[in-house]
Amino acid sequence: MAFTPYDWNQSIQHREDYVADRLREGSPVVGLRYAGGVALVTLRRSQRKVFEIYDRLMFAGLGSQSDIEAVRVAAIDFAHQEGFRRSPDDVTIQRVVGFALSPALKRQFADPFHVPAIIRGLFAEVGQTPEDDRLYLLDHDGEFEVYRHYACAAATVEQQERMAAYAGRSFDASAGWESAVALGLRTWAVGRLPAVESEDDGCAGGATGAAVPVLPDEARITQALAEGLRDLQPEVGLLERDAPRESKFRLVPAEEIPRPG
Amino acid sequence: MDAGMPAASGDFMLLLQRGAPPGASMPWCGADPRVGRLEPAGAAHGTTVLALKYRDGVVNVGDRRATAENLVLYDRADKILPLDDHTLIAISGSYARAMDAVRFLRHSFNYYRRSQLQEMSLEGKLNEVTRFLVGTVPDLLQGQGYVVPLISAFDVSADAGRVFFFDVAGARFETAEFGAAGSGSHRIRGAFDYIVKTKGPFHEMALHEVLREALVLLDIAAELDAATGGLQKVLPSVKTVTREGIREMEEAELAEVVGQLGAS
Repeated sequence: MAFTPYDWNQSIQHREDYVADRLREGSPVVGLRYAGGVALVTLRRSQRKVFEIYDRLMFAGLGSQSDIEAVRVAAIDFAHQEGFRRSPDDVTIQRVVGFALSPALKRQFADPFHVPAIIRGLFAEVGQTPEDDRLYLLDHDGEFEVYRHYACAAATVEQQERMAAYAGRSFDASAGWESAVALGLRTWAVGRLPAVESEDDGCAGGATGAAVPVLPDEARITQALAEGLRDLQPEVGLLERDAPRESKFRLVPAEEIPRPG
Repeated sequence: MDAGMPAASGDFMLLLQRGAPPGASMPWCGADPRVGRLEPAGAAHGTTVLALKYRDGVVNVGDRRATAENLVLYDRADKILPLDDHTLIAISGSYARAMDAVRFLRHSFNYYRRSQLQEMSLEGKLNEVTRFLVGTVPDLLQGQGYVVPLISAFDVSADAGRVFFFDVAGARFETAEFGAAGSGSHRIRGAFDYIVKTKGPFHEMALHEVLREALVLLDIAAELDAATGGLQKVLPSVKTVTREGIREMEEAELAEVVGQLGAS
């Protein structure tokens, strides 16, 4: 229990450390827009990782299986109650993540009698037009960030920044989903590689002082992806804007996922 | 999860009851606060819908008329609606109740698939339809309107189209070749049997062959039943369900088939 401000800070720090420690081995998730919608790309062991939430919403995350499941079900419950009581048009990513999930995760994280949720989740929404596509990165403490084109969820912020820097170099919103998946898989591999030690103390920003992540070379990325694909299954979920059905989600069958090489 | 996050459940009805604001009740379950009130005169009714098997699945044809007593309320009502990728519902009876049914069933099937990570079985879906109909019985007894649906499904496991019809209380019956519901359907019931006995079973015919029979039957129903819209003013709605999913027939294609009927 917290009796002084110092104790309170300590307890928050302990919880942060506990979550960071438990997240460490998680397989990253990459979200990318493409010409016809949005893709979520990851590699998994036996359990599914990319899930349909609602007609225009999907979710993938890393962390403890039970917390991922709890967030998934809470998102589905909220979306369906809203969609039934009002209209499917009223179910938006902002309402699901910002209104339904974020405050509940925050309460759980701040409550000393609860184990904090071990999760970092990526939500994606396909809009009526490409300008309306959104990616939301939701953290274990309820904080979330909004992205327009691509977003990465990984165990550490450093990994996420490195992956985003790599994805940003060759991201192309007019590419087909196969190209987006190929980039997503390589970005996943960037997240799996250890941070590259640069010559000037890990900071390649030069005179400006801005920390630009140092990226591994392409050969190492290819090797890391090949190693990943040897042990794990690739999994890809798409939200296809022009699908004739109301539900835009499609889990791509394993044999349709483009393999590198 | 924390308070405020509902626990895992695959039961959409329970979820709704649990999440509903205090005092609210779903119109089809439990005590209804509207007991004793009659359905307001002027509530819309849908009329004639047909479901016929064909070689690749099932084709549904419905007129577009919605009536309220002897008033033609609307002549562009769509009474053939997809519930999911392999299930169509064709509705007759109270339009308001039917739309409630469609909304409930769609959400129920989607909620089950998304939360349980597997498709609801066909038997499960049919039981959900029955559950809805059972819930409307108290309203039915008070004269507040009823729904009689037809369900057409492509049964992926059996690789065959299937047609089911229901009575107002929820009893379910499977048919071998065709089903029909609505006020116009009784007038043409014998004609279905005549076609099957003289021309052979529908499930062996091609789509356009079955569609021509269905359109003629609908035209006869419109001639004999004032509440059924015909073919000439507004084209009927036609949807098919096959292994590949649900398809709405293009207006140009349908207009051509209707045009050929007039010429013959």
